[in-house]
Amino acid sequence: MAKHSPVVGRYVTIDVDGYEYKVFYLRNGTGVPLVCQHTAGCHNHQWRGLLEDPEITANYDVIAYDLARHGKSDPPTNREWWKEEYLLTAEHFMNFITTFCDALELDRPIFMGSSFGGNVALQLALHHPDKFRAVIPVEAAEHAPGFFLDLWRHPHANAAQVCASGVWDLMAPQSPEMDRWQTWHYYTQGAEVFKGDLHFYSVDHDMRGQLGNIDTRRCPVIMMTGTYDYLTPPDATENTARQIPGGIYIEMEDIGHFPMSENYPLFAVYLKEALHIIENKTASSAPA
Amino acid sequence: MVMSVRDWAVRFSEASDRDQTIGAMAKYFTCTYLWDMGTAKVIVEMVDGKVYRINVDPAPMDAYDFALRASPQTWREFARPIPAPMFHGIWSASFRRDLKIEGNTLALMQNLRNFTVQFELLRKVGVPV
Repeated sequence: MAKHSPVVGRYVTIDVDGYEYKVFYLRNGTGVPLVCQHTAGCHNHQWRGLLEDPEITANYDVIAYDLARHGKSDPPTNREWWKEEYLLTAEHFMNFITTFCDALELDRPIFMGSSFGGNVALQLALHHPDKFRAVIPVEAAEHAPGFFLDLWRHPHANAAQVCASGVWDLMAPQSPEMDRWQTWHYYTQGAEVFKGDLHFYSVDHDMRGQLGNIDTRRCPVIMMTGTYDYLTPPDATENTARQIPGGIYIEMEDIGHFPMSENYPLFAVYLKEALHIIENKTASSAPA
Repeated sequence: MVMSVRDWAVRFSEASDRDQTIGAMAKYFTCTYLWDMGTAKVIVEMVDGKVYRINVDPAPMDAYDFALRASPQTWREFARPIPAPMFHGIWSASFRRDLKIEGNTLALMQNLRNFTVQFELLRKVGVPV
């Protein structure tokens, strides 16, 4: 008897700022759409635990896509993309996400992303609050400088190993070894885009002085960060959440920068708390 | 009681040469690095995945590709079975604590997979400070 997963994969073609992308996404569940963004230089398998968590998928339509150029989502099919350096910007990243959600005709999904996905979640809360029921920025901060490095794709080094081992100690030593090496394996697969992703993460994403303009009555913001995250350590996320009127911060003990991928059972405890908060907030703010 | 740097060198060499994760991709793991722990300094020479020599008394002109320098307290934190946050790796400690990474960092990147595994052997072997 074959052991099939309930998760299914599909492609959708979208146009984002004139770039045609054939986007791959994984999906499982029924209910409120929960759209998930992987971390920089990675792909949607980071959400494998969430996609197969029956406690979540009983009430949530979990959708984890590969950002263009990542995983099974190709680079733009209508551009000679190899002739220009890939440098992701906040505007293009947001346009990709909103276009993808529109293509799937999602009704005000919850958006959750980790690392650069968490940072874009903050951008979405500020610039597109009415398109999302809530956002869950994971391992995010208003500003995250220092990771836009040439060494990620230096031709004299094995870029796959540099990227994978370069993010190794973003994970907590307590996280299961199998899951940490699986995450390492994913990171060997995105070396060519990692630096370009980090252009958004460390350079173009700078929300200092803008957080007070986020309206959490329209789009609640629940931030979560692990204690072993050295890029956006807990105090950076807490400081960010504190500047957002109504912003909520949850600290995750003994986990790192890739919580959904390095230790899903522990991450799920905190995620369920965040979803419960969103349920309460969106129920009380629903029109009579 | 702090172990001697000579005893440490023997234990570290054995642990590294026996490590299966390093052994699985040992070929070309060749570099020379300095670990400056304040009260102890060592230069480790790696050749094709094996510890070729550990210099436990480096002279001023002894050569290496790259160096890791931090306080003895930080090295002791590295050696805990489960290090506290920000002491759990060379990136975290260089971003958030007093670890300095100096020299030819390209050589470090060329050997990063195995060097990272080897660095974490300190959690089993301990440190001579």
